[in-house]
Amino acid sequence: MRAIRLLLGKDVRLLRRSPALAGALVVYPLVVALLVGLVVRYAGERPRVALVAPEGLPSVIVVGKQTFDLQQLFAGAKEVKLVRMPAAQADHQLASGQVLAILTVPRGFTSDLRGLERSPKLILRTTRGGLSTRVVEKLRSFVYSTNLDLQKAYIQANLAAVDLLLRGGGGTIGQTRFSLLGVRRARAELAALARSPDPAVASRAKKLGTFMGQLTGAVGQVGTFLRATANPIQLVHVEQGGRSWILSAQVQAYALALALAFVAVLLGAGAIVAEREENVLGRLVGGLAGFGRLVAEKIAFVTLVAAGLGLLLALVFGLIVELGHVSGGQPWQRVPLLLAGLLLAAAAFGAFGVLVGALAREAGTATLFAFLVALPLTLVSLVPKGTAPVVAWIGALFPFGHAVHAFTVALYDTHPAGLFARECAWLAALAVGYGLAARVAARRLL
Amino acid sequence: MTRRFGRRVVLEPTDLDVGTGEVVALGGPNGAGKSTLLAILAGALRPTGGTVAAPAKLGWMPQRPALYGRLTPRENLELFARLAGLADVGDAVARALAEVGLDVEERHAADLSVGNQQRLNLAIGLLGEPSVLLLDEPTASLDARRRGGLWELVARVRGAGGGVLFATHNLDEARRVADRLLVLEEGRLVYQGPPAGYREEPAPKPNAHEHKDGA
Repeated sequence: MRAIRLLLGKDVRLLRRSPALAGALVVYPLVVALLVGLVVRYAGERPRVALVAPEGLPSVIVVGKQTFDLQQLFAGAKEVKLVRMPAAQADHQLASGQVLAILTVPRGFTSDLRGLERSPKLILRTTRGGLSTRVVEKLRSFVYSTNLDLQKAYIQANLAAVDLLLRGGGGTIGQTRFSLLGVRRARAELAALARSPDPAVASRAKKLGTFMGQLTGAVGQVGTFLRATANPIQLVHVEQGGRSWILSAQVQAYALALALAFVAVLLGAGAIVAEREENVLGRLVGGLAGFGRLVAEKIAFVTLVAAGLGLLLALVFGLIVELGHVSGGQPWQRVPLLLAGLLLAAAAFGAFGVLVGALAREAGTATLFAFLVALPLTLVSLVPKGTAPVVAWIGALFPFGHAVHAFTVALYDTHPAGLFARECAWLAALAVGYGLAARVAARRLL
Repeated sequence: MTRRFGRRVVLEPTDLDVGTGEVVALGGPNGAGKSTLLAILAGALRPTGGTVAAPAKLGWMPQRPALYGRLTPRENLELFARLAGLADVGDAVARALAEVGLDVEERHAADLSVGNQQRLNLAIGLLGEPSVLLLDEPTASLDARRRGGLWELVARVRGAGGGVLFATHNLDEARRVADRLLVLEEGRLVYQGPPAGYREEPAPKPNAHEHKDGA
């Protein structure tokens, strides 16, 4: 332990004497955080979808007694960005990826909508795989919200028809005009007949009058039933003050993991190679500190520096939250838990970096190698398990995905213990595994 | 002992010993295996075959300075003294600095002249007053006065009952200072005996054909 402590002190001293490197290590995570935020912002943008309407969209249609501006409805879609274009152009843009889907409003759509006799249909065409699932979900959401508005109009129209049935008179349902006696007036007629001197007629009229009374009560409930069956489950959306995209839990976790990944891998690779560049490896392993202790010291050094930078980044996020009076998240209460995750993630990334340095042997090669290896492994870690199991398992052997999960859970889960412990166990195992591999590979440095 | 790097044999099976109160020179052309042999004796390299029985107090001065460029000479010496577990670090550092006559303590080692870096390199090897010194081309970057100082130091170690093994290209130096000479060629020990008894092969003349082409 004495050798590790002495070499650690030496490395910290050397870092302090390199103001450019120390400054870069502070600025780097902040820049990464901003860039990641900008990239992740794309996830919140509306997908571009072609809108094809061969017979055009009428500006205003009347459903029941309510009017709808269809053009405004499509233009104001929050879920997707609908762009009007001819069918041929839409096909071309879908093939070239300029739009993610084509939404076609077929002929007869408007008359079906006005007629209230059958459901009008919209046709959605997407390519296979990729972002198509996301577009379908977005358009389902758009159709759902449009249906809600239309259902209200349909219900109003149906209720008007029911009212006509009760009161009687002339009206239209869809495009059919008619005239009705009305249940109430029918009851009044039957009540008059019930006073007939003919006992048989009076008795039959009385029975029919009783039925009409029951019918009046039942029809009176139709409005309530219509509303309930139209929306068995309603989603009530309440907006409240929350984090903006740059402060969201996911962005914060990704920014922390990305900053840690690059700083720790590069620093780990550079730190072990620096011993070779200084030509001191021979002295050290010749009895002062063996390869095992040297590798352990480098991992400890990187852990210290990278976890410190991660903590700084988390504290900056916390400060912005405080200063911006943004609600949501628990940046201060969860800092100790986050620190535990940061230490383990930094150790895992650092051990990987030391392994990279030991394999590369030279400073320039080590830096290039660290970038070349860390970047694809970071992206591989983002592949969901269901998409490509083999790739996802390869990603699981790199600390990035585990670090992101651990940070997200540590910062924002209500009950973080189980999942956090699992991800930390992964990170610890990876740190040990890469550390042992680095110990074996370090012999190449001599 | 023997040493291979992959399939390449750098040091063929070699037996040698350095006795107490003895100065041994290790000669041979570039790439003969001199530095590899010294690194194995210093414990920096493992022999592929064979064993090394080295004393506990062994000092090594590699050919290229082995020190931290962004530490001062004193910080370098203190670090290596502490790593070696020396009891009185301050005293050990003062003695090592005095032995090599280095007094540029405030500058980073990387900013020192090549000669002063080599003296610091030697000072690190002298920490703890080793009984055996392994010196790899110790006079390569030293001026005449410093070379004289170095051989005085070697004489003191021999006088105190210690042993010195140094690698050199300069056979005159070996004849003047060493008690015994070992000569390596392509990893093979081709001579072992008194320095005066070794007759160096004359350098090969340029190939007549090459000479003609060059002209």
